[in-house]
Amino acid sequence: MVGKRLGVNSMLEVKELYFRHKGEKRDILKGISFSAEKGFITTILGPNGSGKTTLFKCISGIWENYKGEVKVNGISIDKLPYKKRARLFSVVPQDHEPAFPYSVFDVVLMGRASYVGIFSSPGKKDYEKAETALELVGIRHLKDLPYTKISGGERQLVLIARAIAQEAPVMLLDEPTSHLDFKNQINVLKKIKEIASLKGLTVIMTLHDPNLASLFSDKIVVINSGNKIAEGSPKEVLTEKLIKRVYGIDVVKVDINGQNIICPLI
Amino acid sequence: MKGIKALIILASPFIFGWIALFLGAYGVSPIMVLKILLNETLHVFNVGDIPEKAIIVDIRLPRVLLAGIVGACLSGAGVTLQGIFRNPLVDPFILGISAGAAFGCAITIGFLSFLPIQFMAFIFGITAVALAYTVARTQGEVSRLTLILSGVIVSAFFTALVSIVKFLVDPNKLQSIVYWLMGSFSLADWKGVKVSLLGVIFGLIPIFLMRWRLNVMSLGEEEAKALGVNVSRDRLLFIGFSTFAVAIATSLCGIIGWVGLMVPHLVRMLIGPDHKTLVPLSLAGGASFMIAADTISRTITSFDIPVGIITALTGAPFFIYLMKRGGKEAWGK
Repeated sequence: MVGKRLGVNSMLEVKELYFRHKGEKRDILKGISFSAEKGFITTILGPNGSGKTTLFKCISGIWENYKGEVKVNGISIDKLPYKKRARLFSVVPQDHEPAFPYSVFDVVLMGRASYVGIFSSPGKKDYEKAETALELVGIRHLKDLPYTKISGGERQLVLIARAIAQEAPVMLLDEPTSHLDFKNQINVLKKIKEIASLKGLTVIMTLHDPNLASLFSDKIVVINSGNKIAEGSPKEVLTEKLIKRVYGIDVVKVDINGQNIICPLI
Repeated sequence: MKGIKALIILASPFIFGWIALFLGAYGVSPIMVLKILLNETLHVFNVGDIPEKAIIVDIRLPRVLLAGIVGACLSGAGVTLQGIFRNPLVDPFILGISAGAAFGCAITIGFLSFLPIQFMAFIFGITAVALAYTVARTQGEVSRLTLILSGVIVSAFFTALVSIVKFLVDPNKLQSIVYWLMGSFSLADWKGVKVSLLGVIFGLIPIFLMRWRLNVMSLGEEEAKALGVNVSRDRLLFIGFSTFAVAIATSLCGIIGWVGLMVPHLVRMLIGPDHKTLVPLSLAGGASFMIAADTISRTITSFDIPVGIITALTGAPFFIYLMKRGGKEAWGK
């Protein structure tokens, strides 16, 4: 963590973000502000229903009718064409099933969409970038398999490879561990961390498990019922009091080899 | 292996076309067909003024070409619509585009004969697909089953409108509307072939060039946007080009269903779902399927059975097969 300091060089800036669905009276996001620094892994942490998925969809430009401002690398995203957005940040969605059983390679190649003209197809360079991305994530052996026939953990890695092929400086991941077993959760997060530091990426992801957030992030933003509760390094943020407040359970914080682990009291 | 399959599919329209030229009520030998074709195009054989020449060049050749181009138009529109709606069970017929285009043609024949028939076909084809899509879309999502149901409703609506036109027009025009609606190539001529080329130039060629986009579009709106695609604009372009191809096809030979559903499916089973290869092979497959269906329809009995009947007889069982095989997968979200 030498040379990295919170609060400088912010790559993503969210200012006073409000969101409500059309025709509803209740705000889902109630004025959230935070920032994510360049080269850091920032995790948006919160229990189910806290608004973190909504926040994610606003930041990633999927939902556009929010109030407030989202800036990536100093550029406000809401007036930006999709093509330019895609070159600023990549989005890794939650595990899903496509309508057609494309091969893993075809899925990764789709990361190049913002570089391919409307009346043309990917060129040699795009194929090479997709190959490199597969190599980097270490899933080259899956290349020709149908995307629908591989495991959930492997699918997540394929989507990460696709985001890498997109070559954007910021990577957003929505619950990258949600459908995975323990081993795959750790593998996927380790991979994200490894690639982020290798490529100097700024990573913003949502998680609901405080321990995973603590182990793999440089910064944590805690969200509950549409409000930001805390923002800072895992050590500062994840206190017994905060967990009690947000998750409503009693925990004890233990220190194992310098890592903070939250252990529920039962 | 895939390469060989792809080559066979690409070559199939020429093989089927050649077979279609020598089959028929007046027997012409396969070799003679080749001689006549070479005589016409390269002037290498002088076959003289034999009756076979007129049969091949003036009657069978335009019919085969028209069947091939119409088949490619319907199949190309089918593969495009399946991609952008992420729904393997739709085609121009199921979404009501064919019925809409048919209504456009019918009112032109009946009342607006000063307009080119393709113009209203295109206008009402677009109206039909826009209706089907808008009805099916709830809260930004279009579920597979709902889209098919709304297509059925739109189709029924335009079919009823066609019936009103039939009821109102004068009996001389009625005959030509009824005959044309059944879906047949029996009136094919070189003029029709020329018109069908419009569908190729302003429908199929743009779709062919944009085909890789269909991969990205088929991931769904949110993902395609995140990958940098202007989904609303591209969807409009794809719908426009495929509806134009269908409008041209419908104006030339009436309503022919199921081709756009079956052919892309069969090609997908053989080659895989990547639209980069799927689109050109669906065009070739559609052409050969239609040439084969038309050849069957004119040789199986001494009458010229409307080809729409042949495609429906194969298409309906195929749809049931897909429904059963796909099960939950096909009907899910």
